[in-house]
Amino acid sequence: MTDVAHEPITESPAVEKSGWYQAGGHVAAFALVLALLGLLAWGLVKVQRGQVKSGMAPDFTLLGFDGRKTTLSDLRGQVVVINFWASWCPPCREEAAYLEQTWRKYQDQGVVFIGVDYVDTEKEALAYIKEFDITYLNGPDIGTRISQAYNIQGVPETFYVAKNGELHGLKVGPLSPPELDEKIDALLAESYP
Amino acid sequence: MLADTGLVVLFIAFLLSLYATLASAFGGIRNQPAWVESARNAAVLVFPLLTIPVAVVLYALYVMDFSLAYVYDVSNRAMSPFLRLTALWGGQQGSVLFWAWIMSAFVMLVLLRKWYRDRELMPYVIAISMLTTAFFIGVVVFITNPFTRLWHLPGAQELTKSIFQPEGAMAFVPQDGQGLNPLLRHFGMIGHPPTTYIGFTGFVVPYAFAMAALITGKSRQDEWIRTTRRWTLVAWVFLSIGLVLGGRWAYDVLGWGGFWGWDPVENAMFMPWLTGTAFLHSVMMTEKRGMLKKWNMILIILTYALTLFGAFITRTGVISSVHAFTKSALGPAFFAFIGLTFVGSLTLLFARWETLKSEHHLESFLSREAAFVLQNMLFLAIAFAVFWGTVFPLISELVTGTKITVGPPYFKKVTGPLFFALVLLMGVAPLFAWRKQAARKLGRAMLAPFLGSLAVTAVWGYLHRMHPLSIGGLWLVSFVVLTVLAEFWKGVQARTSSRGENPLTALGTLIRRNRRRYGGYIIHLGVVMIALGVIGDTYFKQETQTTVARGETLTIGDYSLRFEGLREYPGSDGRDVVEASTHLYKKGQHIRELKPRRDFFIVQEQPVTVPGVYSTPGVDVYTMLVGWGASGGQSATFKVYVNSLINWVWIGSLALILGTLVTAWPSKDSKRQASYVLKPRSLGLDPASGD
Repeated sequence: MTDVAHEPITESPAVEKSGWYQAGGHVAAFALVLALLGLLAWGLVKVQRGQVKSGMAPDFTLLGFDGRKTTLSDLRGQVVVINFWASWCPPCREEAAYLEQTWRKYQDQGVVFIGVDYVDTEKEALAYIKEFDITYLNGPDIGTRISQAYNIQGVPETFYVAKNGELHGLKVGPLSPPELDEKIDALLAESYP
Repeated sequence: MLADTGLVVLFIAFLLSLYATLASAFGGIRNQPAWVESARNAAVLVFPLLTIPVAVVLYALYVMDFSLAYVYDVSNRAMSPFLRLTALWGGQQGSVLFWAWIMSAFVMLVLLRKWYRDRELMPYVIAISMLTTAFFIGVVVFITNPFTRLWHLPGAQELTKSIFQPEGAMAFVPQDGQGLNPLLRHFGMIGHPPTTYIGFTGFVVPYAFAMAALITGKSRQDEWIRTTRRWTLVAWVFLSIGLVLGGRWAYDVLGWGGFWGWDPVENAMFMPWLTGTAFLHSVMMTEKRGMLKKWNMILIILTYALTLFGAFITRTGVISSVHAFTKSALGPAFFAFIGLTFVGSLTLLFARWETLKSEHHLESFLSREAAFVLQNMLFLAIAFAVFWGTVFPLISELVTGTKITVGPPYFKKVTGPLFFALVLLMGVAPLFAWRKQAARKLGRAMLAPFLGSLAVTAVWGYLHRMHPLSIGGLWLVSFVVLTVLAEFWKGVQARTSSRGENPLTALGTLIRRNRRRYGGYIIHLGVVMIALGVIGDTYFKQETQTTVARGETLTIGDYSLRFEGLREYPGSDGRDVVEASTHLYKKGQHIRELKPRRDFFIVQEQPVTVPGVYSTPGVDVYTMLVGWGASGGQSATFKVYVNSLINWVWIGSLALILGTLVTAWPSKDSKRQASYVLKPRSLGLDPASGD
């Protein structure tokens, strides 16, 4: 008889406790799901905004792998091609040779190429630069500040900046001849005071 | 006007699927069978109705009706009729329609085949599956409609896309279309979307049954698991085929010599496969022992949500990927639907949490049950690691303001050991008995395969002294293969000695009598073969990139490649081809000519590298033409990979499909037959007891 009397006393706290645990677990599961949905929503909003497409090109200063420092706003009067790339990106390899070849063709005509290395390791990036014998300015996007300012969606992406500093076009995906030449010719033809 | 017919019928299908959702839910809640019957009729009708817009799009692609924006975007006159038809899933609009169409086919088949079996569940099976179908059809109708036309507004530079004629606009029919993305013109990419879609949409069947079981409180019986087992297998095997075709496409077309890059888009497909595989295994625990019921629910919800999540991230670009997918307005709609699915499923699950109690407890850590639990945890751990790596860029950007992507090294390091443990478990788990396994007996069963694997490993280790890391992997593969083969051997031997059958007959009968078991073993063998391919890819890959003049030779490992010259000619489907002629030698011995190419698609201005591959079970020599000198093809640059064992990935995949066929093929006597069933108590319960 004492057993029976004792039973509720020993049993019920345990049941209650497991009930609390369970409720806590369920709340945690919901919190997790909601956090995930929040994250996706935030990502979605960013994507829907898309790349910066018009207006003044966001200014930045890039410290090159070779120690050279370049600030975009100092380059007024010149046509600037900003190419976002990474050594781990296969489509970037497709356009690398064409980019370098075009740079060599235009380098004395008031055109500046800037390679922004996106989320990469220095060793691989330098190997890539060496592999394609790239001679234009290239530097890492430290803290992904530049790619966030341009809100790039992937690599490769190429932005064209006109002589007056305005964005005049964007190419998503690898460049192939002769589109880069044509675009640069068109931008060079624009008058600038 | 055919396109108008397609549009109208599409809209009717949308209304009908909405009606089926509401009517079945109403009929279920109010217990009015007439409404459910009516909903069922409507649901069955959606597939034939959707077939009409699908046929119209196919016809438009076939006759090149460029007045439709979709046809203009994905096809052109230079494409062959077959390729034009496959463009149905070559772009956003067509592929979502195709998706909805396949889903409606699944729903129709379920309603035709299972109607008399699970009557209590049916109202909600219809409601859940038709709600999903309605969502996809709705997306086709309102967001990404394949019947959108091209219009020319006076004074406008660019064409306007709209379903209905904008005011003052003139209909515009271009002379030619833009053509399918050249990268997608490959058998892998032609077969990958349909198989993937069948896999993705197929999971709606077990999901709908699971949710129906929760809603009706029938979840305490496990009937829904028995009903959907084959359906799940079908979805799973198609998802597997889709993964393999995607990998094959990457290997043949993307030109980096590999088949898996841990790209978000690939991960998106891999995650539901992982949880789906876990689900396929854990349902066995419920069937035989009445255990892991909560797990099953969690796994099927997760699998289904991950298929939606996969569709979401591949089609919206929320997680940036090197795959270039078009951005679209699909994002918010998909987001809302994923949210609804997740929150709704969880709410239901927690409401019925108490009814999903296990009927047995784990009796021993050395038992089939324990092995299943461990296996489930490993699958989930891998799925979580992949998920974390996939969304990490988003998380890091939110938390630290810096976007950090994690590449293949992260995935390899984190999932490698887990996969190792999983494959090992796959080898030994089938030897475990239900409830409790005597350690001594287990040791005896494993002894011969273990010694055999040590012998194989010793030989291998000696031959490949320079790759010590590969030895562990090879030991694992040989051990698992030998344990599985030993199982076959034991079965065959028992039959030959007791019945005097010859070994081949015995093998045939053995497999026929125990389809699930031996089909499962064949699938396991396939997985081990794939693991062998991965080991080759991880440890034995060699690569080089060299520029050679005509007549010169480049060397890689045992192989050398002599460059003979370049040829340029116009190819089919609107491309210019530059083809290199090279001769492959192994240790000085001529093997054959290889012709790596670079195809330039004129309209799309896009080059595609077509590798020249010499392929054997042991090794693939994979050559790519990277570039050539300006001086009339006197020199060329080649990238050459020597990929060891990679063919085992494809061979293993075929074994996996074969094993699934053995397991899932309907047979008359398979329903009543089961090798060993510990009857779960739930089967004895009063079926009428609700909650």
